[in-house]
Amino acid sequence: MEGSKAISHEIGGIEKDALRFGLSGVKSEFVGDHPLQSALKSTRITQEQMKSKILASTYGSAFPLKMDLDKQIFSRFQRPPGALPSSMLGLEALTGSLDEFGFEDYHPDPHDSETLLPIDMHHGMEVHLGLSRGPACHSFI
Amino acid sequence: MTKAAIHVPPKGGFSFDLCRRNEMLAQNGLKPPCSFKKTGTTIVGLIFQDGVILGADTRATEGPIVADKNCEKIHYMAPNIYCCGAGTAADTEAVTDMVSSQLQLHRYHTGRESRVVTALSLLKSHLFNYQGHVSAALVLGGVDVTGPHLHTIYPHGSTDTLPFATMGSGSLAAMAVFESKYKEGLTRDEGIQLVSEAICSGIFNDLGSGSNVDVCVITKGHKEYLRNHQQPNPRTYVSSKGYSFVKGHTEVLTTKITPLKEKVEVIEGGDAMEE
Repeated sequence: MEGSKAISHEIGGIEKDALRFGLSGVKSEFVGDHPLQSALKSTRITQEQMKSKILASTYGSAFPLKMDLDKQIFSRFQRPPGALPSSMLGLEALTGSLDEFGFEDYHPDPHDSETLLPIDMHHGMEVHLGLSRGPACHSFI
Repeated sequence: MTKAAIHVPPKGGFSFDLCRRNEMLAQNGLKPPCSFKKTGTTIVGLIFQDGVILGADTRATEGPIVADKNCEKIHYMAPNIYCCGAGTAADTEAVTDMVSSQLQLHRYHTGRESRVVTALSLLKSHLFNYQGHVSAALVLGGVDVTGPHLHTIYPHGSTDTLPFATMGSGSLAAMAVFESKYKEGLTRDEGIQLVSEAICSGIFNDLGSGSNVDVCVITKGHKEYLRNHQQPNPRTYVSSKGYSFVKGHTEVLTTKITPLKEKVEVIEGGDAMEE
């Protein structure tokens, strides 16, 4: 297929497809379901920003930029969706979360969640090859 | 920039999936079952001449019911650090277990004894992140290279550093004993005596606390866990003949068996073989 005709695929943002995943309320998307949820999210983001700022002022601005690129490369390298989730060893080693141990590592398995959407591997593959439109399934690029 | 977003497989942690549904049900008039049961505890700690002594009662309550008459409230954190927990039992257990695993990882990484401040900052940052929804009120004590340390941690993540500390619903009763009798440079036996007295004060004056006294003495390079150090509330009567309940002792009045009907189609997670 020609490069110009290939359908560009979105990375992530799978929940934006209204026909496949239903309409999402605007309010709940921004506010979240629970005040704690948005607090946890914003804490994570500010912590990441703070870390990259510290790195930039210590080692120069090129260092966090390169680290960000490395992060993106490591995050794309994943198993196809299925029974065995990617361990993301490279990414965890890079971000340092390999040395940490929190609720998210053992508390409930996300696959036991009542509301997790089963990931469609064939759709993800089609998007990957430019045969289908829409977001690629978010754990397989 | 959105195209460069990093997407990794979902991880565990708190799930907020059902919050919106529960809110909708509440709006439509469903009365949620009262989920919060009153908890009660007395936990204390003090610094004596060679280290730290922690103490706890052993009653676990859920509202008006005593759920466990002899539970353990002094949790292991590291070989030289222990932590008393008040609040929701599952939360204190989960948080202390998680931080003790983190400390173990850190010890493998550094090859050194854990410090009390490390445990303190791990606990407080975790509790602060969860904004008080992890209801654990802790008394953390230990002896490391910098000496004995005693801290209290509140459920929202604030901390105190004190020579003697109390927590839980019996904290006022226990603090009264400490404030009148604590002095610096207590010996080991005096310290254990004072801690037991403070816990007993909680046991007898606070309805949420009861049963026995657990004590943990931590000194440099050594610790001693005195489980049920005192038993001020022994069982008053035990039948000398023992208790035996024959099968069918409790009469079954009615039996009704409703066979389950399959109404939901189960979809396997991920992609199964589709062909």
